[in-house]
Amino acid sequence: MKSSRATLLATAFLASLSAPSFAQNQQVNDPIEPVNRGIFAINELLDTILIKPIVVTYNTVIPKPIRTGIGNVFSNLDDVFIGANHVLQGRGKDAGTSFGRVIVNSTVGLGGLIDIASMNGLQKGEGDFGQTLGVWGVGAGPYIVLPVLGPSNARDTVGRAARIASDPRTYMPKAWSYSLTGAEYVQMRADNAENADMVDKFSFDKYSFTRSLYMQRRNSLVTSGKEASSAP
Amino acid sequence: MASLRAVILAFISLVAIALPAHAQTSAEDMVRRMAIDITAEVRKNPDLAQSQAQLTSLAERRLMPHFNFERITQLAMGRNWAKASSAEQRQIVSEFSKLLIRTYSNALASLKDLNVQVRDSRKNGNDVTVRTHMIGRAKPVAIDYSLESSGGGWRVFDVTVEGLSLVTTYRDEFNGMISSSGVSGLIAMLKQKNGK
Repeated sequence: MKSSRATLLATAFLASLSAPSFAQNQQVNDPIEPVNRGIFAINELLDTILIKPIVVTYNTVIPKPIRTGIGNVFSNLDDVFIGANHVLQGRGKDAGTSFGRVIVNSTVGLGGLIDIASMNGLQKGEGDFGQTLGVWGVGAGPYIVLPVLGPSNARDTVGRAARIASDPRTYMPKAWSYSLTGAEYVQMRADNAENADMVDKFSFDKYSFTRSLYMQRRNSLVTSGKEASSAP
Repeated sequence: MASLRAVILAFISLVAIALPAHAQTSAEDMVRRMAIDITAEVRKNPDLAQSQAQLTSLAERRLMPHFNFERITQLAMGRNWAKASSAEQRQIVSEFSKLLIRTYSNALASLKDLNVQVRDSRKNGNDVTVRTHMIGRAKPVAIDYSLESSGGGWRVFDVTVEGLSLVTTYRDEFNGMISSSGVSGLIAMLKQKNGK
């Protein structure tokens, strides 16, 4: 019953955040758009002058198999959180798959370097704390662009805080924690380089395009989470 | 007596289920056939990816006839559709379909090593959503086609990739564009995107 109290608390908190947000725009819940656009512009600038060059260097200096290995290690750590969220969402079967992946990849997969689980039919799932709140019935709340981290909404920002609080890296010595997180960020950006180029090419207004994609994607993850949790 | 009534009831409910089920099957078949036709042609032509002209031609022959661009455009325009004159509406439909073909024809080449697998379909009024998986990469990609019945055939009016709907995405973009620079601004933007 802990979960229902947590839901209640989160709902109350989010309701207080999202209360004044309906006035301006019926379709898109983005009451602080001017602020968001400002942060978005700074993030874009950071991406261009700092992160993209790092990613390009990373991709040139480090050979693909090693990059894949590093990506797999982070992905393996993430599977622990994905599995935990599957449990919180009541998705027994998916939780089994996710934790099964962690066990297989941490052992046979040499500490997560090789994704043996995927090769054997244990597909990586989707799960995070923001999604869990959504499955519990918490609305998305207004759209928020976080500095450096990018698109989010009120609910997912709470989810992200929960993720950080429960991540072992948070409690490591600062130098370790920062370099591991930085490495993961670069890896993630490298994985998404193609998508980022697509957005550049096809969007009219990058801000609203990104916002639309983010909100739709998050909605769909919550819907699929709900479906999976009500499945037998 | 009771058993006869049960049989009749069962028969009636079967017919009731079978009719829309048949409609759904034919929509699924249409998606399946479209996918098979396109993948077959992509595989026959190994240097397709290098030729924009060939990609466009493939999209025009194999994809376009199955899409209702007018409805796609109308849905993407939402309440702004009524704000455009009929000449503007025609122009938007034509420019927007050009943009979509250009955008998506590039993706066709990657079907070389992918397969489309129809999962199931759901009826939604007169429309049917056919859910598919694109398989061949590390993870299957979920692609849903929304189809409407038109004159004996089926036509696609929205495509949703991993929860991202084509229509919704462009609706948000169109809305923003129209509120900042009007319908004429949208047309200018579409033309500019197509010109590049």
